[in-house]
Order: sequence, then structure tokens, then C-alpha cells
Amino acid sequence: MARRRAKRSGRRKRKSGLGALFVNGYFDFTLLFIVLFLVAFGLVMVYSTSSYTAELKMGDAAYYLKRQGVFALAGIVAMLGISKIDYHVWKKFSALAMIVTVGLLGLVLVAGASSHGATRWLQIGGITFQPSEVAKIAIILFTAHMSTIHAARIGNIKVMIKVIWAPILAVALIATENLSTGIICAAIVMMIVFVTSPKIKQFLVMGLGVAAILAFFLMIASYRLDRIKVWLHPEDYVSTNGYQTLQALYAVGSGGIFGKGLGQSIQKLDFLPESHNDYIFSIICEELGLFGAACVIAIFALLIWRCMVIAMSAPDLYGALIVIGVITHIAIQSMLNIAVVTNSMPPTGVPLPFISYGGTAIFFLLAEMGLVLSVAGQIRMAKEY
Amino acid sequence: MLKTYTRKKIFVVLFCVLFAFFLLFIRLGYLMICRSEFYLNKAQALHERERSVKAKRGIVYDRNGVELAGNKPVCSISVIHSQIKDENAVVEALCRILDLPEESVRKKVEANTIREKIKSNVEKKIADELRELGLAGVMIDEDYKRYYPYDTLASKVIGFTGSDNQGIVGLEVAYEDVLAGIPGSILTLTDAHGVELKNQAESRREPVAGNNLYTTLDINMQKYAQQAAIKVLKAKQAKRVSVILMNPQNGEIYAMVNVPEYNLNDPYTLVDVADLYVTPIERKKKEVAAMTDKQKQDALNNMWRNFCINDTYEPGSTFKTVTATAALEEGVVRVEDTFSCPGFRIVEDRRIRCHKVGGHGAETFREGIMNSCNPVFMDVGARVGVSNMYKNYKKLGLFEKTGVDLPGEASSIMHKQEDVGAVELATMSFGQSFQITPLQLLRAVSAIVNGGTLVTPHFGLYQTDESGERVKSFTYEKKEKAILKSTSDTMKMLLEAVVAEGSGSKGQVEGYRVGGKTATSEKLPRGTGRYISSFLGFAPANHPQILGIILIDEPVGIYYGGTIAAPVMSEIFSNVLPYMGLKAEYIEKEETEVMVPFFEDTVE
Repeated sequence: MARRRAKRSGRRKRKSGLGALFVNGYFDFTLLFIVLFLVAFGLVMVYSTSSYTAELKMGDAAYYLKRQGVFALAGIVAMLGISKIDYHVWKKFSALAMIVTVGLLGLVLVAGASSHGATRWLQIGGITFQPSEVAKIAIILFTAHMSTIHAARIGNIKVMIKVIWAPILAVALIATENLSTGIICAAIVMMIVFVTSPKIKQFLVMGLGVAAILAFFLMIASYRLDRIKVWLHPEDYVSTNGYQTLQALYAVGSGGIFGKGLGQSIQKLDFLPESHNDYIFSIICEELGLFGAACVIAIFALLIWRCMVIAMSAPDLYGALIVIGVITHIAIQSMLNIAVVTNSMPPTGVPLPFISYGGTAIFFLLAEMGLVLSVAGQIRMAKEY
Repeated sequence: MLKTYTRKKIFVVLFCVLFAFFLLFIRLGYLMICRSEFYLNKAQALHERERSVKAKRGIVYDRNGVELAGNKPVCSISVIHSQIKDENAVVEALCRILDLPEESVRKKVEANTIREKIKSNVEKKIADELRELGLAGVMIDEDYKRYYPYDTLASKVIGFTGSDNQGIVGLEVAYEDVLAGIPGSILTLTDAHGVELKNQAESRREPVAGNNLYTTLDINMQKYAQQAAIKVLKAKQAKRVSVILMNPQNGEIYAMVNVPEYNLNDPYTLVDVADLYVTPIERKKKEVAAMTDKQKQDALNNMWRNFCINDTYEPGSTFKTVTATAALEEGVVRVEDTFSCPGFRIVEDRRIRCHKVGGHGAETFREGIMNSCNPVFMDVGARVGVSNMYKNYKKLGLFEKTGVDLPGEASSIMHKQEDVGAVELATMSFGQSFQITPLQLLRAVSAIVNGGTLVTPHFGLYQTDESGERVKSFTYEKKEKAILKSTSDTMKMLLEAVVAEGSGSKGQVEGYRVGGKTATSEKLPRGTGRYISSFLGFAPANHPQILGIILIDEPVGIYYGGTIAAPVMSEIFSNVLPYMGLKAEYIEKEETEVMVPFFEDTVE
């Protein structure tokens, strides 16, 4: 049996042209279902949270829903497509992707469009998109590739630096404008390296180092220091920075155990700005209660668990690392989002994966899930023998 | 295959992530269970908009339950744009029936807001006319407006309310807490811009009506007094006439008149005294039109003033009652002590005249009061001395406010005791060189004639709730034995003599024993020929049931209090005393006194 499988894969490799890209094997429907459920639930919540203000401002209650729907659809198509592509293909493009990403990030700093007080968007033609979303994928692929190459000697600090210097440069570029995305990207890089390396101690040291750097960042950027004050006492800053935090807490707290019912939130009626965006989770709490919120957390946990299973049974290290990168992205981002909404940490703008409104984000997230599905597709059922 | 440590590490990562999720879940549980009520309340306070519902204001009654201030149903009219079907018809009807300019009405009708108010305080009859047209989108809300059935009667006592039904002057503001009630509210949910949400349950808190106030005023006595005051105001072309009628035994004020009064139902229209006896109304209107806003406001404030309480004056000879009381209290004079009046007295370097240029010659203390002789009182004042005089002023409450339940009571203006020399003492003895309010004088005289109890003049009797149940009676401070009863008895006797045989003879009322004292005070600055003529009277003289004062401000022509003020009080008393149930006692007096026991004997 094993020989036949090896033979088959050997045959596949010999295939020439486009056919060589595609894999036909196992498809992880569990993961697909979880992802589609999250996307659908996200669309419902985007409609629930945005319809009132969309009606007022755009004259169309479904304005945000439609836009998000288009991106989600495109993302699903991309996901399914990518899931059929042999993920080893990306090895060839990862260095190029990294260069382009760093270039784009540099461009944002120079010529980016401002929104919400930070420069994060690039405008190409009529489309605005966030290079940092592209950066996440590029960083995952590049770091995974480099770690695989140097896996044997990555315990050596010099080797490790060789692996991570380019992604860390990208992270630094992102962090200058958007600390939270920077943290997420840094976490992706570190997690991939951590899983690859046989060592533990140096990561603990590095963790402390990161904490120190973070503290340093907080010290020099005074507006972030203000954020900490706001975080500790949001009620003292009702009319300024504490407003959103407090409104989010009102929404979360007023949900109770079973919530007010889908569509019944009042905080979304312009009391809570960005309620369809970074703060969508607070409206989920208000409408669906602790029960609904727990379900959402459970679904994320399920998604992460499923991805971890895929990572552990991945056919090779490269595949496992890609999945680790993607899952770190989703896990960190959802944790940060929920932590911000519940005022468990200083406020920072992180969208909730799959659910928050945001075209670029959902498209690239689905693309990342395509990568995971692609890795899952090549799992060999070793246990069968 | 992955290396074992890689798998282990993946497992560690998974565990860490799930643990973090678990912590977040705990945090959520804390917020949504333990803190739920706190945030829910805060959010609700934010979401709810309160529309207040006016409470019915309490009614003000006189002592017999006659309504002095009530509520009249009125309507406020508004339009709701989205419900209007025929804009032109609505605009036309509103303009025609409410007599409003088309431009502003059209603007409101066309405004795409939740609700636009067109006019408030619309008479119910007019609103009913509009209601009959049944126009869609026109809302008619019933409301109450303060209404004063007697227009000008006791205007400066009762006062009026403002646009929110809040008391502005007079009893309306003094008893605001009693009358106002507690406004109710309708709570509705709104979005962040305050727009009310549809299909949301309203919660309602019913308003609590204010309590009704029964006052000591007596509408009939007030009317008698006002008529008499207007009559003398016209006859003497005076600037102002004030009358107070009070029960000297307990301080209940039966009537307080300050003519010209203003119309409580139209308190922002200036009333000038000139309107009452000549008719230069057109000229007056022009003057009012030419006033600046500030001038007009000052004029209005002046019009609303209650002279009896808010202003001070030099009481003049009526104050000799206080000097005489002080002398009797200190035992420095007896009724039959003799004095002499050459028509003036030299005090230090000053020559102070008596009103009778030739002098009264030799006279007893009793005759001195009857003649209102200044030199007698200068002598008496000197006998009492400064510190004893001030001690007695204090006993009679002249250094404090009377405590009357009306806002803005003025304080007396007195010399500092250490600044009082012989000249000041002499002038004070006959009521000059200091100022008090008419009500302060009345309060002091009450104590002098009621046996020595210093009462608190007041209007508030008791309050009843909406159903008419009496809920609270007001109590007022009384200082008993402010002066000796013997002093009081002597004073009653002396003041009765003033009316019976002396300068107050025009204050007599046939069949009643009246006591009193006249005064003619020259206003400051002296020598301008402006006077306040006054008379202070009480009846029955042996056991006073009513004490009154009349002040005629700047009469034209004869200005002697005994000549022009005393007859007015006589006229008022001749109406009021029988009304109070006090029987006239003619010469048959002795016979009835004999008759009664005889009659009783037969019954037994």
C-alpha cells in the first residue's frame, strides 16, 4: 500500500504543466464547515449591526452586508481554489512575496491613505486595501519556508536571526503605524520558529525581550500611555477616548445571560461607533448574551483545535508551519479582539476574524484557510496501516 | 512525519490558546452576569429619553374656600410631518383658527422632524374648533394653565407663574413646594441622536398633583379694602394706596391691598396708576413702546412689588404707639403726667417743631397722644433713654423681619445704637429718621394691643391634597409676653381715646369701639411736599379682632392722615366688622348685657 501511494505521488510530481499544481485527495469538510459557519454568522451580525446606520447614512440597510458578501464570496472562491493547489508551490514565491510586502509597507508609510487617525490603507485604482493583511500571508509563507530550510540548526541564534530578520523588518514597518497588527505578525513569526526549534529556554528569554520592547514602545508613544489610563478608568474619559470602551462595556454588560435577541441591540444605534467593525463582538454579547458569546468562542476554539490536528498530522514540516502561522494569526487576533471589547486590555483596533466587517481582511483570511485546507488535503492516512 | 518535539510544542500552543479563551470566557461571565445589572442600568439611562408630564398645580383658596388661583384647561397644538396628508389645508386651518402668520406655520408644517410645536396655551374652545376639522397630522394635547378668577384682586400677594407653571412672585413662589407637585414622565427609547424608536414599549410615571393651599385671605374683606383703596387713590390722585387687615391675636392676614394692582392673568402688561383716574392710555402705550427691554423689566418688577412688605418707609406718628409702649414698659411715664408744648422743642442745637405751630400748651400724656404732640414724645423718648428704647424695639420685633410667608421681605433701617444722640432719639420718638415696613409696624402694634404676644403675620393656613383632605396645617412662631399685659391694656385705652376724642376722630365707626393712631410722614428728601398719609386702627378696642393700616402715598391736596386716611379705614371697618360677625353696640349696650343673663335664667 505504502509503495503504491508513494508511486502515485511520484507520478503526480512527474505531471507536467498546470496539472502538477493540483492535488486530489482528502478534503477536510469539518474545517470547511466551521469556516463557512463563521462567515455566514459574520454576515448576519454585520447586517444586524450595520443596517440601522447604513439606512441612515447610505439609504440602504444592506449596504455593508452587500459589500461584505461580495468579498466573502470572492474569499470562498479563493479558499477553495487555493485548497486545490499544492502548497509547496508557494515556496518558490515566498521570497518574492516578502520583498513585495516590504515594498508595499514602505509605500503605505510614504503614500498611504489615512482613516481613523492612522495610515494603513493603500489606494490602487478605486480599491483601497490594507497591505498589512497581505503581509500576514507573506510572513506566514516566508517564515515557514525559511524555518523548514534551517530546521536542523534553528536552535542556533545566528541561524534563527537569518530566518527571521526579513519578517521582523516587515513587522517593524507594520508596527510603526499599527502596533496591534505588528504584535500579531510578530507572534506569527515567533510561533513558527518556536514550533520548529527544539529549544525552549531561548524563547522564554525572547518573550521577556519582546515584553521589554513593548514597554519601550508604550513609553515613547505618549498616545498609547493615554490609552492605558483610559483602559484602567474608562469612565473618567467618557467624552473622549473612553467613550468607545465604555459603550462597548454597556453593550456587553447589558446582554446578560441570554441577550436581548438577535437584532435587538440598542447600542448599535450609533451609540457604539464601529459596531459592525472592531466592536462587533460587543453587539454579539448584547444581542445573544453570554450564551451566544460563549458559542462564538467555542467555534473559534473548535477551529483552532481542528487546525492544530491538521498541523500535527501534516505531511511535512513546511505544511505544519503554514498551518501554525495561520492559526496563530486567527487565535491571537480573536483573543485580542475579545480582550479589547471586554476592556481586559488597553483598546486597540483589531477586527474579529471572519465576523468583523472588512473586505481585505475576510478575503485574505479565507485565502489562509485555503492554505490550511491544502495542507489537510495532503495528509496521509498513516494510521490506516 | 513531524518530530516529536514539534508535536509537543504544537500541543503546548493549542493548550495555551484554549486556556486564553477560557480566561476570556471567565471575564465575559463576570461582565455579563456580575456586572450585568450595573451596565444595563447605565445603558438604559443612556437610551431612555424622558418626556415630562406636567403635574397639576395646587389651587390657592381664601380662608372660606373661594378659589384665588386655579387651573384652566388649555391646549398645545403641534404637527407631525409624516402624518400630514394635505399640507395646504393644515397650514390654512392653523393660520385661520390660531391667527398665526402663514410663513412660520408653513415652515413648521414642512419641517421633517418628529414633532413641531405650533402654539401652546390655546383656549380649549379654539382647540375644539380645530379638532372638529379632523386634520391628519395635527396633534392637540390638553394641558393646564394657571388662571386667576379675580384678575387684579390681591395680585401682589398671590403672584403668578411662569411658562413652566413655576411660581415667579408672591404666594405662588413662596409655596412652590406645596403647589408644584411632582411632574411625571414618559420614558421612551431613542437612538444616539435622540430619535425615538418605533415599536418600543413606553414606561410611564404618573405625575403627582400639587397640594392645595388655603390662605388666611378673605375674598370679601379684600374686595372691601380694595374698593376703598381705589376710591381714595382716585380721589386723592395718589401714587399708591396700601391696606393691610390682620387679626392681631394670631397674625392671620385677612386682606392686603396695594393699588394699583396688576392683572394676574396678564402680568406682563404695565399698569400705571394714571390709568385709573385719568385716561391717557394712548400716551401711556407709546411710552411703554419706547421703553428699552431693561426699562420695561424694571417697570414690571416695580409693578409686581408689594409695598407692605418689600419696601420700607418712615412711619411717622403711628410709631408714637411704640414710643408710648416703651415709656409705659419702663415705667417712666404715667397717663396723667403733664407736659407742655410751646410748638417746638430745642434738642441740642436743633429746634424741632410740633405739627401745631402755636403749640398745644399744657397737656397730659393721654392728651399728648390724642393730639399726636411731638414735644411730648420727645420728652417721653428722652425719659426712656436710648438703650431702653432699643430694648423695647427689639421686644416688638423691629430689628427682625416679620417672617411673613412672602418672598423679598425688606429689613428695617435703624441707626446703630451707639450712633443715637439726643437729636436722633427725639426724632425716632415720633417716627422719623429710620425706616420699617408697614407690616413690621403692624406686627409691633399687634403685640401692643393683643395683650403682649408678638405674632408672625402670615397667609398660609393649611394644605389639602388633591381629594380635599387636609394634610398639613402651618404653624407660626409666637412670642408671648413680649410686653406686659398692663401696658397693653393702657395702650388700648389711650389709642381708643385717640379715635374717640383726638386726632383720629374720623376713624370712628358707629356702634364700635375703635382704637387707632394717625400719621403724616413727609417723604425724603424733605420739603418736596410729598407725604405718606396713614392711619392705623383696630376694633373692638377692648379686645381687638382686627387691626388695619392704610397708607396713602403722595396724595394731592390735603395730606393729613387724620383727615384723609382715617375715614377710609372707618369705611372699611364699617363693612368688615359686621361681616366678621361683630355686633354693633349702640347705647342699648347696657340693656343687652342685662337681657342676656335674664333670658338665660328663664331658660333654666
